[in-house]
Amino acid sequence: MKKIILTLIIAIAAFGFMQKGETITVKGSDTMVILAQRWAELYMSKHPDVTVQVTGGGSGVGISALINGTTDICNASRSMKKSEKEKLKQRFNTLGVEIKAAKDGLAIYVRENNPVDELSLSQLKDIYTGKTTNWKQVGGPDTKIIVYGRENSSGTYVYFKDNVLDGEDFAPSVQTLPGTAAVVNAVSKDKNGIGYGGAAYAKGIKLLKVKKDANSTAYAPTEENVKSGDYPISRYLYMYTRNRPTGAMKDYIDWILSKEGQEIVTKVGYFPVK
Amino acid sequence: MKRIIFIISLLVAIYLNAKSQDSSAVATKDEVTEVKGAVDGINETVLEMKSTLDALKKIKISGYIQAQYQVAESAGVGSYAGGNFPQNVKSRYQVRRGRFKINYDNDLTQYVLQLDVTQSGVGIKDAYVSIKEPWYRAASLTAGVFDRPFGFEISYSSSSREAPERSRLFQTLFPGERELGAKIELAPENGPLSYFNLKAGVFNGVLSNANENDRNKDFIGRAGFQLPFDEEGLAIDGGFSVYTGTVTANSKKIYEIDNSSSIKKYIVDSTITNLGNGFDRNYYGFDLQLYYDVPVIGGATLRGEYIWGKQPGTDKSSSFYNPDAAGTTDTKSSIDGKKVTDIYMRNFNGWYLNFVQNIGLKNQFVAKYDVYTPNKDVTANDIGAVGSNLNAGDIKYSTLGLGWIYHWDSNVKFVLYYDWVKNEKVNSLASGTLAPFKEDLKDNVLTFRMQYKF
Repeated sequence: MKKIILTLIIAIAAFGFMQKGETITVKGSDTMVILAQRWAELYMSKHPDVTVQVTGGGSGVGISALINGTTDICNASRSMKKSEKEKLKQRFNTLGVEIKAAKDGLAIYVRENNPVDELSLSQLKDIYTGKTTNWKQVGGPDTKIIVYGRENSSGTYVYFKDNVLDGEDFAPSVQTLPGTAAVVNAVSKDKNGIGYGGAAYAKGIKLLKVKKDANSTAYAPTEENVKSGDYPISRYLYMYTRNRPTGAMKDYIDWILSKEGQEIVTKVGYFPVK
Repeated sequence: MKRIIFIISLLVAIYLNAKSQDSSAVATKDEVTEVKGAVDGINETVLEMKSTLDALKKIKISGYIQAQYQVAESAGVGSYAGGNFPQNVKSRYQVRRGRFKINYDNDLTQYVLQLDVTQSGVGIKDAYVSIKEPWYRAASLTAGVFDRPFGFEISYSSSSREAPERSRLFQTLFPGERELGAKIELAPENGPLSYFNLKAGVFNGVLSNANENDRNKDFIGRAGFQLPFDEEGLAIDGGFSVYTGTVTANSKKIYEIDNSSSIKKYIVDSTITNLGNGFDRNYYGFDLQLYYDVPVIGGATLRGEYIWGKQPGTDKSSSFYNPDAAGTTDTKSSIDGKKVTDIYMRNFNGWYLNFVQNIGLKNQFVAKYDVYTPNKDVTANDIGAVGSNLNAGDIKYSTLGLGWIYHWDSNVKFVLYYDWVKNEKVNSLASGTLAPFKEDLKDNVLTFRMQYKF
């Protein structure tokens, strides 16, 4: 009996230790997906023995994948919640490792010919909670505001909800789109549209200046303003791993935080952490 | 003449061309209006579908099934590894747990119903409503059937728990884990208070599937902390728990240990006023969980709990006194011809240590040791001694469990686990039902379990 048990244990252990090779899987934030792909492409060109597979899906999806053990690295445009860390603790007995990989100003998009140049945080909150529905109420033309946002699996959605809406729910009229690129695309074609997302995606649209309150100065989401903290809706972009990274994963993360990796951050349109 | 005809023709041609252009522009305009109408229609449909989808997204369905094969060291043994083996049965297949949970999560309010479907039938595990305050989202009120807020192991889900079963200590003190009652929970998400949490509630003090049987309510509470040390890859969680309640006697006979006697034995208090009186059921406990990310190998945890207190039980069982429990085999006395169950008061303690080491992504090694001393006022030699009336409910047990878990994927895991169960050996002069306990019973159990969770 004892021999059978011992043999079974050894067999199961050996099966579990089978290695897949040097492949690193990265999943999560759609905001970070372009950045993550650029990192992966350049890193793989310099390390042909390592494969980095990048997919999006949203920060929530990435965090779930990290908890389920189906990704090595999770990209997230928000920090992990306490409840998510608890789940990681239950399954892997770790707290996870948080790496601040870049900084982002959460930009407010409107079409290029929209006469509105700036909004305060409370005006944004009123627009997204449905209290303000006409551009005239915020200094624009007398037309309905068409509001675009992200799906609730998105870290950008959660960050916007927590930091701009103060935890209140989005209005039902907010049209949710699957990815920042889709929001940019919708706003660029809609003269009455407004959307939010990473500054790096802002091509062919206008970025509004944002002020903390009605009496503050409005700031554009530039590197200088994001770094100084003057731009009121800026955030870190995170990478999470289950355990302290070792081997190829450690090399990859160290490279991302190196001068070369952080230069990609700037090229893509975000702001380096170092 | 030719010139006139040419001019007239030209004018007619220009007129016809202009008319044609006009009608073409009108047609295009009509088409644009039509397309715009169609797009508006689609938008309306999408918005309608979105509100339906948003409502559906609030319904969360989850569940798990634990199918297992067990082999006991001998047939018909009593066991805390999934219940007693029937007479002559040494091995068995079981659906140990078949859970199906529906959660309607409306952000600040929650509806939860969890069923347990096994070969024994269908039972309700959870049925509660929970409301969170909207300002800080740190406090919530829960009412219904749910886990008793005591210690760590009760609320640690059976689908996540590495050892197949909870410790003998918890199975004895808190059978079924759940209770009927209401509790308040404080668990701030942010700020310095986020390191602390508090759960406290008032309960019937019986079982989750039984109606209240007396006029008293029991209090259960736990004050906890969670200290993360991210840089070191370390976390320390813990808490202090209290259970303070009573059971109501339906007998006048209350047995307590006579500590003054040279032979430890129960003495009975048969005062008639004991009938209908409440008798203390008090537990206190500490729990501590350490988590550490072992470089290269994976996360490890060491968890432990120590509980002590006073338990009103029966002669054969140190589980809490519940005269209404179905199928009880406790010795009855009689009042006015009606059978009643006598109370045996015991001072108890117990503890466990559980070590889990993750090895890579898919494997976990588990070791667990638990000890339950149902009556700390007596020794093994007192039980069965001449002149003693101690019984099986006073025998101390320890269990060493070793196991291996293999996670096939994010849904499926296999568990191989062996329980070495030791009972203390009672006095060599013991006879009757105590006689088998003069030796260690052959009640070790091997469990091979397959779990699917979604």
